[in-house]
Amino acid sequence: MMNYTTNKTMPVKLKGVGDGLRITIDPTQSLDLLKEDIGKIFKNLGHLAINAKIVIDPGENGTHKELISTLGKYLKNTFDVGSVSGLSPKRSAPEERIRQHDINHSWEHYRSDVLMLAGRIRSGQKVSTKRHLVIMGDVNPGAEIFAGGDILIMGSLRGAAFAGQPDKEDAIVFALDFRPSLIQIGGFVGTGAGPSKLKIAEFAHVEKDIIVVEDYLKTNPFGKMPWPDKR
Amino acid sequence: MEGKIFVITSGKGGVGKTTATSSIGAALAMAGKRVAVVDMDIGLRNLDVVMGLENRIVFNIVDVVQGKCKLSQAAIKDRRINNLFLIPASQSDNKDVFKSEDMVRLGKRLKEEFDIVLMDCPAGIERGFENAVAAADEALVICTPEVSSVRDADRIIGLLYARSITPKLILNRINPAMTANGDMLNHEDVTDVLSIELIGLVEADDNVIVASNLGKPLVMINDSKAGQAFIRIAMRLDGHEDIPIQVPKSGSTFWRNIGSKLGFK
Ligand SMILES: Nc1ncnc2c1ncn2[C@@H]1O[C@H](COP(=O)(O)OP(=O)(O)OP(=O)(O)O)[C@@H](O)[C@H]1O
Ligand SMILES: [Mg+2]
Repeated sequence: MMNYTTNKTMPVKLKGVGDGLRITIDPTQSLDLLKEDIGKIFKNLGHLAINAKIVIDPGENGTHKELISTLGKYLKNTFDVGSVSGLSPKRSAPEERIRQHDINHSWEHYRSDVLMLAGRIRSGQKVSTKRHLVIMGDVNPGAEIFAGGDILIMGSLRGAAFAGQPDKEDAIVFALDFRPSLIQIGGFVGTGAGPSKLKIAEFAHVEKDIIVVEDYLKTNPFGKMPWPDKR
Repeated sequence: MEGKIFVITSGKGGVGKTTATSSIGAALAMAGKRVAVVDMDIGLRNLDVVMGLENRIVFNIVDVVQGKCKLSQAAIKDRRINNLFLIPASQSDNKDVFKSEDMVRLGKRLKEEFDIVLMDCPAGIERGFENAVAAADEALVICTPEVSSVRDADRIIGLLYARSITPKLILNRINPAMTANGDMLNHEDVTDVLSIELIGLVEADDNVIVASNLGKPLVMINDSKAGQAFIRIAMRLDGHEDIPIQVPKSGSTFWRNIGSKLGFK
């Protein structure tokens, strides 16, 4: 099964708070590894990182001022973030309120990058976006759709779908009527007899390096997330 | 009143464009319209053969465009049907002898002379298609109940929409017995994917081959199911949109009436 919230082996975690972003780091890891992981996350954020207010949380033990200022410089230089600060050791009452706010209203501060289209994509037509792709309509055999993130088809998918391009392997491809001729997620390709012929909502995702297609409502992949989070 | 130009196209070859052009043209002329059928398949002309007019060709469409003759000199009057004229393709040139602008100019003149102009488009999506579509006001897409034909028709439909033309669909060579057995796509499978207005379902019919070999209009063979289907298509194009679309049924002479709204989903 996929783990959608956090990954225990990951030294850096990202979360939206109040008016900015908070990254939790494991200060016992090497600076290079931290930079590398932060870099990956911020690259995915794209323009959301620009001018953002960043709080770096090194966890329970110590303040790690030097580490935070080094990472702060790196973030400002590489991703144009607005401000970087450490976490004050004791949370003040207002901040406590921000955390509450976070769980109930975090989406107000999020902006997902989505290309949303209505209509039919026909044979020989190609839709390509760096963002997520939502199509209210059908994708015909012989059509091709590409997205940097997820692909959601509110209709039947019979053409070829390339999600998470080039290397986002946690992307999904969803369709109300899932009959693609080919699926690619990140670098993984699936063809042929995968999808069932039933007209049920199904989705494809990568699991242990292969593309798996499952009944969306039965699997309910995102229903298990503890709170709504940005895609 | 100015006439209207229809292009008859399919993407895939051999699905019945020429058959449809000659049959619909004949039916409209028999209904009193002044009709020109134009063979746009430059280099591979055969509309003249299907219509039994191959021995009457002196000038062709390339001659008209290049100013070597008048439009009236190239338009061959049908032997049997009044008001029906063929403008043949040239057999020796190739498809890029003229440009889209030439066709637009020719189209204007054709619309002054005729009520309805039917352009028989070559297969493919290249120059020949571009030329045939350039002057068209409307388009009829011919498709057979085969996956490859549907795929090509879909491509053509996208290209037509890109030129602000909303095409209508004719499904040709339906084999009712195979459809009933599930061995052939049914018209709903096809309209599901193509999602354009259906204006006719034409059965596979040996009379098509007989008519073409005799150079006799299919629509004049009274017991030809395909001929009758083309007549109904012509009537629908001529404003009788209420004529219901009938689904070919195997083993009986009865039709199942699906009503006219089903075609457009
Ligand atoms: N309804 C039908 N029933 C039986 N045979 C048919 C039918 N329609 C077309 N045909 C046959 O299929 C062949 C191809 O038809 P036609 O020449 O009209 O196709 P086309 O689309 O014009 O082909 P091309 O792309 O080569 O110009 C011909 O031999 C014709 O007699
Ligand atoms: Mg032809």
